[in-house]
Amino acid sequence: MTTSPPVLEVNGLMRSYGGGKTLFRKEKPVIHAINDVSFQIAEGETLGLVGESGSGKSTTGRAVLHLETPDAGSVRFRGQELTTLAGKALKPYRREMQMIFQDPYSALNPRMKVGRFVAEPMVVHGTESGSALQDRVAELFRLVGLDPAFMSRYPHEFSGGQRQRINIARAIALKPAFIVADEPITALDVSIQAQIVNLFQDLQDQLGLAYLFIAHDLSMVRYLCSRVAVMLRGRIVEIAPTEQIFSDPRHPYTQSLLAAIPVPDPDRRRPPRPPFDVSRNIPPREAQMAEVAPGHFVLDHPIQ
Amino acid sequence: MKHFFRDLCRSKAGLFGAVLLAIIVLLALFAPLLHLPDPTRGDLRARLAGPTWSGLFSPGAHPLGTDEVGRDILSRLIHGSRMTLMVASTAVVLGGIVGTFLGILAGYKGGLVDRILMRLVDIQLAIPLMLLALLVVAALGPSITNVVLVLALTSWIRYARIIRAQVLSLREREFVQSARAIGASTLRIMFLHILPNVLTPALVVGTLELARVIIMDAALSFLGLGVQPPTPSWGRMLADGRVYLSSAWWTVTFPGLAIVLTVLSVNLFGDWLRDYFDPKTRSAK
Ligand SMILES: Nc1ncnc2c1ncn2[C@@H]1O[C@H](COP(=O)(O)OP(=O)(O)O)[C@@H](O)[C@H]1O
Ligand SMILES: [Mg+2]
Repeated sequence: MTTSPPVLEVNGLMRSYGGGKTLFRKEKPVIHAINDVSFQIAEGETLGLVGESGSGKSTTGRAVLHLETPDAGSVRFRGQELTTLAGKALKPYRREMQMIFQDPYSALNPRMKVGRFVAEPMVVHGTESGSALQDRVAELFRLVGLDPAFMSRYPHEFSGGQRQRINIARAIALKPAFIVADEPITALDVSIQAQIVNLFQDLQDQLGLAYLFIAHDLSMVRYLCSRVAVMLRGRIVEIAPTEQIFSDPRHPYTQSLLAAIPVPDPDRRRPPRPPFDVSRNIPPREAQMAEVAPGHFVLDHPIQ
Repeated sequence: MKHFFRDLCRSKAGLFGAVLLAIIVLLALFAPLLHLPDPTRGDLRARLAGPTWSGLFSPGAHPLGTDEVGRDILSRLIHGSRMTLMVASTAVVLGGIVGTFLGILAGYKGGLVDRILMRLVDIQLAIPLMLLALLVVAALGPSITNVVLVLALTSWIRYARIIRAQVLSLREREFVQSARAIGASTLRIMFLHILPNVLTPALVVGTLELARVIIMDAALSFLGLGVQPPTPSWGRMLADGRVYLSSAWWTVTFPGLAIVLTVLSVNLFGDWLRDYFDPKTRSAK
């Protein structure tokens, strides 16, 4: 479908929490946060990842970036397998892949001046120093629409939208090829959300970034993403080009997500459908994806 | 800083503690400039002289009386405070550095490191601190260095536990994850991202520890295991004076009062400091 080679290939990714019985601790129940997650992202493409809270979106993002080690599965960046790398061997790939977090308040170190915070990736990787570093930080501030004079301030002096711009400046400092944006606008005022989405778009045009853009409802991904993956209880249940998700949703869960988007025009309202009962339709382990149209895959399992 | 003093002035207890502590520290710092009688030289003609306030500024006056060998009690108190404050604050800072570092290490690294360190803390908590201190000083011999070391040894665990608990929640914060995502080393994360965010609780633990360590220092020197004579120390003054309690009350009353007032001022100030830095009590104002 997309002709450019994938920047990222994820196959059969799994991660569970809990378990781990020891002499002093009782065993906790095992939660399969993500189960058999597979997708690809082309260079410069945006894939949306949508699902309700707790469906495993953040876990997917963290596992892809190797912020936690997956239990099974493979993550390839430009063909290089990452899950088997550790420590120093991983460091060059940290330059290429970054994350932007949901909560712009907890994403900034409250005791570090924001200029230093944005400069840190370049200090860690030794790409820039001295006045060149200062110039680069100022350039990054301008790029995300902040006054470079703010560099010597602390995070508490900024609004949520400004903080998210600071996080974005830090994430793009090393000119990465790929960014996981974990619900980057959910915590922001509605009036600010569009500005930040536009910033994501501008940066993509200028820097050729690929995004995994995580959101909890479909309306947020519509204008930014070329393809969308829908996640349910740790599984991807449908993945397709954005137009197709909106015009021809196949999985009942996708359909219920679409129905939840408010439509202002009464003529275009969809007929009401019975709500999708998540707890009775947890995808079984052995369910497989089936291609229903070119580039449009749906998880095949019985629906109540 | 302005906000700090404005807030301090609003709290009667905190202000009282801060002012009292400031006076004690200033007296200790400037003791050599006060033209006090030599705290180590006795005047055998004036043994166990009671407090007199007449002729306060004449050279032979003893406003708080003298001890059994005729040494001026006021002078010994002020010079003794130098030693007490120095020993106690060195011990608290030393214990603070070690305890904070180990607390960060245990909290951030988790796993085996955490389990070993926390078991160590548990074991040490199970031994009465005074017994531990007595054993160590008795084994190593009483010297200022040994007293400082043993007091620091009783102190680090309190920092380590509280700092570890803080780090457990900091570790999950997104800016720490973000530091890992850019490839920052563990040391960098511990010192640049975690340490600055636990300095405040460490400071609060420090003031509360200071009060405890002052009492312990006095107890050690009361038992003869602290600073050795003739250097004046509060605990030693109590020990030497208690024989004369019925005939010369001033020999024990003033050193006792000095300990109580110092500990009280540190505690009041420490309590206020804890509230000041606690976001929950702060936002309630
Ligand atoms: N560190 C963790 N420890 C234990 N359980 C976790 C942890 N992180 C996530 N989970 C669990 O994994 C599931 C998926 O969580 P998450 O990936 O955060 O979902 P989402 O981002 O879609 O809201 C949830 O059930 C959550 O409780
Ligand atoms: Mg999430």
